[in-house]
Amino acid sequence: MAMMPKRVKYRKSQRGRMKGTACRSNYVAFGEYGLQALESSWITARNIEAGRVAATHFLHREGKVYLRVFPHKPVSSKPLETRMGKGKGEPEFWVARVRPGTVMFEIGGVTEDVAKQALVRVAHKMPIRCRFVKRRHSL
Amino acid sequence: MAKTLVLKAEIRERTGSKDAVRLRRAGRIPAIVYGHKKEPVAISVNAHTFVEGLHQGHRLIDVQIGSKKVKTIVKDVQYDHLGKDIVHADLMRVDIKEMVKVSVPIELKGTAKGTHEGGIVEEHADHLEIECRATDIPESIVVSVKEIDVGDALHAGDIELAEGIKLVSSPDTLLATCHLVAAAKTTEELEEEAPVAPEVITEAKPEEEGSEEEAK
Repeated sequence: MAMMPKRVKYRKSQRGRMKGTACRSNYVAFGEYGLQALESSWITARNIEAGRVAATHFLHREGKVYLRVFPHKPVSSKPLETRMGKGKGEPEFWVARVRPGTVMFEIGGVTEDVAKQALVRVAHKMPIRCRFVKRRHSL
Repeated sequence: MAKTLVLKAEIRERTGSKDAVRLRRAGRIPAIVYGHKKEPVAISVNAHTFVEGLHQGHRLIDVQIGSKKVKTIVKDVQYDHLGKDIVHADLMRVDIKEMVKVSVPIELKGTAKGTHEGGIVEEHADHLEIECRATDIPESIVVSVKEIDVGDALHAGDIELAEGIKLVSSPDTLLATCHLVAAAKTTEELEEEAPVAPEVITEAKPEEEGSEEEAK
């Protein structure tokens, strides 16, 4: 199984809505370069893992990759060829809720050129449009 | 000596988010001038000139409101959710001879010793609080990381500041470290560590139920 919480209060959750833009987690905080979401979407644990593998594979132990999103939300689904009703389906996978502006991945300890190339590879694994961002120094 | 930018400003008669949005659409940035125990003044400045001035490293701004000229420093800038556009600016009134507290970006320069041994330099803080004359605000503080070896750390207290500049941030503030990077875990390793299903806190445990029944 991919990334998921160790403990949860409830096993299943309602779908919810993703309104508005990111008010937090919308700046590069740990590394020097980041990948910022331009759309709102569910990012599955598989997407996150694929992005992490793509970045670490490209960097060859050079820099450090930071994951800024975690899949906290369970998504359930009903088995195939099942009639409707009889209660909610079982949790199938886990997702992170991402809104426009959220910095999803960060890279530190490498040059801008290398970070850009690594994050382009990560962006290809994402189901949304993303952009490359740099850490903003104070003002 | 800090560069001074002259900006023509217009007083905002109407404030509020709707009027601010209208201003931004018209290519202006809402801002406020405050300080020196005088009434704050809501103004708007030309977005292009202001942004260009900031990029060129201007911190001191002469704001021309009508026929008056007010010397200010850029105290704070608010960005939109994408961090692209400036949505508001705080300008604080200053006197040329006055000492001001400002945050200045840090620029790490050079290649650390430790990088030759496979280490990476990690930047922990990107700005420092300093106190200096309004006219002497540096664009950035250049810090050399050449001497940092694997396992070494650079603190704010280790930096030599120019004359007339006092450090306000704690001298123990960690600026940069050099360390070896641990091999990233493979997907298989992570899967082994990860639980098959998360523990549910609110779920009633079968043992407890049994013990409750016994008690009854």
